[in-house]
Amino acid sequence: MIWFTWRQFRTQTWIAIGALAAVGVVLVVTGRSIADAYAAANVAACQGDCATAIDTFLSQVWTGASGTVYDLANVIMYVVPAVIGIFWGAPLLARELETGTHRLAWNQSVTRTRWLSAKLAVVGGAAAATAGLLSWAVTSWAGHIDQAAGDRITPGLFGARGIAPVGYALFAFVLGVTAGMLIRRTVPAMAATLAIYGAAVISMQEWVRAHLVPASHATRPLDTSSLDTLMLSDNNQMTVIASDNLSNAWVLSNQTITATGQVFTGPVNPQYCGPDQGPQACVDWLATLGLRQDLTYHPASHFWPLQWTEAGIFIALAVLLAGFCFWWTRRLT
Amino acid sequence: MSSPVLQAEGLSKRYRRREALSDCTIAVPPGRVVGLVGPNGAGKTTLLHLAVGLLRPTAGDIEVLGGHPASGAAQLARVGFVAQDAPTYAGLSVADHLRFGAHTNPGWDRQLADDRVTRLGLDRSQKAGKLSGGQRAQLALTLAIAKRPDLLILDEPVASLDPLARREFLQGLMVFIAEHDAGVILSSHLVSDLERVCDYLIVLVASRVRVAGEVEDLLASHYRLTGARRDLADLPTGVEVIEDSHTDRQSTLIARSTTPIDGSSFAVEQLALEDLVLAYMSQTATDPLPALETTP
Repeated sequence: MIWFTWRQFRTQTWIAIGALAAVGVVLVVTGRSIADAYAAANVAACQGDCATAIDTFLSQVWTGASGTVYDLANVIMYVVPAVIGIFWGAPLLARELETGTHRLAWNQSVTRTRWLSAKLAVVGGAAAATAGLLSWAVTSWAGHIDQAAGDRITPGLFGARGIAPVGYALFAFVLGVTAGMLIRRTVPAMAATLAIYGAAVISMQEWVRAHLVPASHATRPLDTSSLDTLMLSDNNQMTVIASDNLSNAWVLSNQTITATGQVFTGPVNPQYCGPDQGPQACVDWLATLGLRQDLTYHPASHFWPLQWTEAGIFIALAVLLAGFCFWWTRRLT
Repeated sequence: MSSPVLQAEGLSKRYRRREALSDCTIAVPPGRVVGLVGPNGAGKTTLLHLAVGLLRPTAGDIEVLGGHPASGAAQLARVGFVAQDAPTYAGLSVADHLRFGAHTNPGWDRQLADDRVTRLGLDRSQKAGKLSGGQRAQLALTLAIAKRPDLLILDEPVASLDPLARREFLQGLMVFIAEHDAGVILSSHLVSDLERVCDYLIVLVASRVRVAGEVEDLLASHYRLTGARRDLADLPTGVEVIEDSHTDRQSTLIARSTTPIDGSSFAVEQLALEDLVLAYMSQTATDPLPALETTP
């Protein structure tokens, strides 16, 4: 059964290997220029003025071909699990059911459970390997950039690094299998797979991920010299937000609070703040109020705990769906 | 091979609102070549799918060779099945199909498979999707035969074949039956396909078993009676009318009787199997006649 699954899956395997090889070549070639830029900007050995070194390095990266590759690679990391779900998962059972070949397969001396096990193991293994290899390649390729930019824990990049893509790929694959099994037609199953995969990954990023590991919390005096936002509203209210000054962190909330802990919204003192006074007078006045900055964030150290938890959740979902597939296949007619 | 080929007790299958098979009770003795005949949509495929475990009964029970269909690898190994239209993997070659059979069946008879493919003149590197209907049916039959089942179940194996391919297919089947001690169930909507190969017949009409029995017994117990027009009520006892047609002066009856019919008031003729089956198929009565008793 394993031989046969591999035989049915042979073309896709070669396509995957070819695509991985092509990506590998591009990464190796551009990886050299990144390493050169990194060495030239002297980021690793910078003393004191590291910010300049990092800026030099990053601007060199963004202006070259590696900048384009970087953007593409980030997109590919989200697209590959979807492609796996759509082209490997959805047709796996749907095509058999659609063409009636399940009536041939299920009448050999192999139980449906073994038949499905072989399919899920071979193709699921390939899905995990593909996503894992790709993510490993991209994560190491982008290592210097991520370190310099200090942003791999932020939402867009997080799912394109580490082991989260393996979780996505396994989930998308089994999701495709399940959709194909229930819908019994390949093309609608592909559409359903894409829709649900997209919804799951977006929901994870928007609503779930922040809570997977308890976030860090910090309160410190408001640094009025690094205000990001200073906004006056008509009703005598104002919004003040200082820069978070955190490197390599995912900031969930950044608020300015009063000494009593309320979010600061004013009231504005028109004597200092207003169109006639100029911003500096207002900033100086704010500095006298004893305001504090209240931050909730995931520091860089949360990257791997978040990665493992998120990958674990998607793998658990995949396992649940696979269990459902086994149960349903036994009663499928 | 001492277990009955097929044993069904009150077997029913309902799809949502449509009854595909109703209260089917049959017991086919061991070692028979069974023909399942009936018009399209009578429930033949449903019965066969129940027998191979592709369907689960809504009610009742079915056993094949003494085991529950598809209850495990051992049962699957004992029953070979060729579904209607002989599904094969269009993108895989003939050789791939044989390797598939070899990998998925512990009892795979490689010699038999190779010989058959050679004799049929199938090109091993040809993709199954490019084979003709007859060749595909032969390939599917080869897969089912080479796993060396105790029972071969074929759903309308010749329906899509031209007359020549049809004859070749049935000949191949008869060779297999002669060479291997295996039972066969095959369905068709044409009696002529089954007549030459089957020694047991099940007639299925409108989801019900109309009659089932040894072909010999069926032929020996059915008659065409022709005589002066008469009321059906005054027939000798033990004679059941399957079909009757009347002109002003004459009645023609197709009737079943387990005892010879007194020929004084009728011209009594033996029936051809085809006429017999057609009589059951055109029968309007909704009550099924009890299955003909057979002694195992």
